[in-house]
Amino acid sequence: MTEVKKEQTTTHKIGIYLWIWGLLFVLSFFSYMVDWYNFQGLLRWSLILFFMFLKAGLIMAFFMHLFWERYALVNVLLWPMTAIACFVGLMVAEGKYTVFSRLFYFFVGGA
Amino acid sequence: MSDLNLDKLPGGFKGMSEDIGSDQTTFKGVNWGKAMMWIFLLSDTFVFSCFLVAYMKVRASVVEPWPYPSEVFALEMFGVPVPLLLIAIMTFVLITSSGTMALAVKYGYEKNRKMCGWFVLLTAIGGLTFVGMQAFEWSKLIFHDGVRPWGNPFGAEQFGAFFFMITGFHGTHVSIGVIFLFIFARKVFRGDFDTGRRGYFTTMKSDYVAIEILGLYWHFVDLVWVFIFAFFYLW
Amino acid sequence: MSDELNINKKRNDQIKTKSSATSGRGETDIDYVRPAELPEQDLYHGHSFITKWIFCQDAKVIGVQYTLTAVFTGVVGLILSWMMRMQLGYPDLFPFLTAETYYQMVTMHGMIMVVYLLTALFLGGFGNYLIPLMVGARDMVFPYVNMISFWMFFVAVVVLMASFFVPGGPTGSGWTLYPPQAILEGTPGSGYGILLMLISLSLFVIGFTMGGLNYVITILQARTRGMSLMRMPLTIWGIFTATVLALLAFPALLVSSIMMTLDKVLETSFFMPTIIKAGEALSYDGGSPILFQHLFWFFGHPEVYIVALPAFGIVSDLISVHSRKNIFGYRMMVWAIVGIGALSFFVWAHHMYVSGMSPWFGFFFATTTLIIAVPTALKVYNWILTLWRGNIRINTVMLFCLGFIVTFVNGGITGIFLGNVAVDVPLSDTYFVIAHFHMVMGIAPLMVIFGAIYHWFPLVTGRFLDEKLGKWHFWITFLGAYSIYFPMHYLGFIGVPRRYFEMYDSPYMTSAVGMNEFISLAAFIVGAAQFIFFYNLVKSLRLGKPAGKNPWKANSLEWLTPDVPPTHGNWGEKLPVVHRWAYDYGVPGAKEDYIPQTTAPSEVKDAEVEKT
Repeated sequence: MTEVKKEQTTTHKIGIYLWIWGLLFVLSFFSYMVDWYNFQGLLRWSLILFFMFLKAGLIMAFFMHLFWERYALVNVLLWPMTAIACFVGLMVAEGKYTVFSRLFYFFVGGA
Repeated sequence: MSDLNLDKLPGGFKGMSEDIGSDQTTFKGVNWGKAMMWIFLLSDTFVFSCFLVAYMKVRASVVEPWPYPSEVFALEMFGVPVPLLLIAIMTFVLITSSGTMALAVKYGYEKNRKMCGWFVLLTAIGGLTFVGMQAFEWSKLIFHDGVRPWGNPFGAEQFGAFFFMITGFHGTHVSIGVIFLFIFARKVFRGDFDTGRRGYFTTMKSDYVAIEILGLYWHFVDLVWVFIFAFFYLW
Repeated sequence: MSDELNINKKRNDQIKTKSSATSGRGETDIDYVRPAELPEQDLYHGHSFITKWIFCQDAKVIGVQYTLTAVFTGVVGLILSWMMRMQLGYPDLFPFLTAETYYQMVTMHGMIMVVYLLTALFLGGFGNYLIPLMVGARDMVFPYVNMISFWMFFVAVVVLMASFFVPGGPTGSGWTLYPPQAILEGTPGSGYGILLMLISLSLFVIGFTMGGLNYVITILQARTRGMSLMRMPLTIWGIFTATVLALLAFPALLVSSIMMTLDKVLETSFFMPTIIKAGEALSYDGGSPILFQHLFWFFGHPEVYIVALPAFGIVSDLISVHSRKNIFGYRMMVWAIVGIGALSFFVWAHHMYVSGMSPWFGFFFATTTLIIAVPTALKVYNWILTLWRGNIRINTVMLFCLGFIVTFVNGGITGIFLGNVAVDVPLSDTYFVIAHFHMVMGIAPLMVIFGAIYHWFPLVTGRFLDEKLGKWHFWITFLGAYSIYFPMHYLGFIGVPRRYFEMYDSPYMTSAVGMNEFISLAAFIVGAAQFIFFYNLVKSLRLGKPAGKNPWKANSLEWLTPDVPPTHGNWGEKLPVVHRWAYDYGVPGAKEDYIPQTTAPSEVKDAEVEKT
């Protein structure tokens, strides 16, 4: 009985998997090209991050079926990422401060 | 057995508030094992995030130059160094195996024993190839380039340490996944999921949902690789 | 193992109850509860002694195993604290207490009490025992994984205890294990001691993750019919939120343990900066010690709430039961627990104000820290308002609850001092800090643990604990603990630094010696009083007054099992059906002063119950 229901809700046409699969290859190729053409600076970072999040999103949404899950599960999984985001943001600031104080006190010689 | 018909439940945020307000289950129609795998992956995401955050913090605060990954990971092809060639192939292999896993899960839903089994096996072989290539990559770095966890000829010594630790941890995940994929391939072919044969350790009945759970894990490993690829090899 | 036929029969019975109730009244059925979504759980019943009591898959037995192991480590921690107080109260009187052993004791005492006693006892012990019972499940959802979880914890404890016996002894780097000193020569136990500590912590995290997944999924996916999240007892809310915190915070501990192990074994430089020792540079270069502190406290601050939230939840239930009143502001209490849990991931660096982190962080973390005071204070008000005009039974359980409120408020207020950067800077690393965290996450949760054991002992064993001994235990513990920690605030104000082996001939020697002696005496007495408690446990197990069913006249499901103590599978033939929250005490119009959660609305038609 449950099985019947499962098929209604969770089986998808094979086409969607193949599409996503192909898209992942293309995106990986693009992110490889970022290195190949040796983009530098802000352009490089934003392209890397863009392709990375796009690939991650596609894998999560379609291969891991999150797109078809109910919002209760989706929200439970995604909200904790704010803690990670906060951690990342603060560690960026901390890293900058550490390198500043290292250069300032050990190389410049302090105030 | 129940009046739970997922198609009749409201979707979106309204559905979410109803699910959370309801009795018995919060994730409607989600198998226990699947819910557990999701929460475990959430926890594991925090593990990998902490690794990557640590990597970011240390890389941002070393004063020595960080080795340029494009050159470190280049592979000589016909006398010409091709940047990140091996990594590109590894990415290709892992994404391929992720795709075969997705198909295995699809055939698992449909209770197509043969196709499901073959695709699980194919995924396992893809994973094994990945681990093999990683072993090759590591040995090249260690024996050819002289990269060690405690130092390397290219620059800041944390480069090797973080590289071996994070890819090692990821590789461990892949290896565990490969082992389970082989075990489950055998289970599928033996028909455990059709007969509901009981597990050797847990004494719980087997079900095709196990393939979906394994699939979640495998896609997660792929997902982590996407991040490692971006932060380690491209950045 | 149950067979298909039986399961189907039981399930049909459940549906029949529903439909017969409908046909009885005709129009809208006030007793309607949605039918079961899931089939009955498939359980493995142990047959031999080993599968029933040792490698057991029953969450209740696992809970008791966790409790006993945790209490054992707790006794070790207690003895360590005695030895520390011996040195501090009577410096140089005991020749076997050297500076090295003192630091080792400080470290082991801290780690044991926070992780291996409190975390394991609240989540592993109370969590395992109470979650399936209180949500109306037959067992945890993955009993086998649950069993492995306990044995992982057991191995972690064995590894930890082994570090007392290796060459060099256990690590003496303080429970925060800050590098670089934790793994450098000169720190006691910098060889095997720190390695075993890190391995033990990693094992603990792995074991806990297995258990924690079980707790979360059982609460989310295996509740009985009618048990919505907002009908769960606050105990379950506390344990649930704490477990979620643990699942998300322990990864940071695991990661920092792995990285420090590599720093130690492979001489990588994750946390190790360039270090000159005796004029010679060590092999380390360019690592970031402050990164360890960030990782550690990203785990460490949620850890505080991992210990505190179950205590909040449990004490809410105990206060409600023993003052025969519904908990004041149930929904507020739930949101406060969840809010504190969520906020706890954004406050960690208030432990690091003097660490040399980026000076901009102080403002951010002071703000978030003080925001946490809002839901916390709200909870305290609600406990007091629950007591207000309640029909309070002054028994041992209630005494411990009152003791909790007092000590918690005390510790919470000093927390506001320490949360502000400008006040924290002079107070940090003094005895004020020790007084603060022992009050708020040592004594207060312990009060709840004692209260909870006095409360649930009749459920686990079928017998009451001795009330008279219990009251002695309470008064000595409560007054004694106050005598220990209250003077420490003063010591902190005059600037006595913490973690010092001896004050030598500093000015503190003269001004603090009398007080240190007094604190030590109190500590010996309080420690000894705990043996009254252990004696009480052992004695009551055989000779205690039989409790019978539901001796406290409580509403929550754990008291409503067909067998007391509950057997494997908890509920006998049929799962309970829940119609209300767990707090219908003293309802106007009801015959009894309590309405259990399984009572259908049609049975108490005239009662003015809350709509939940």
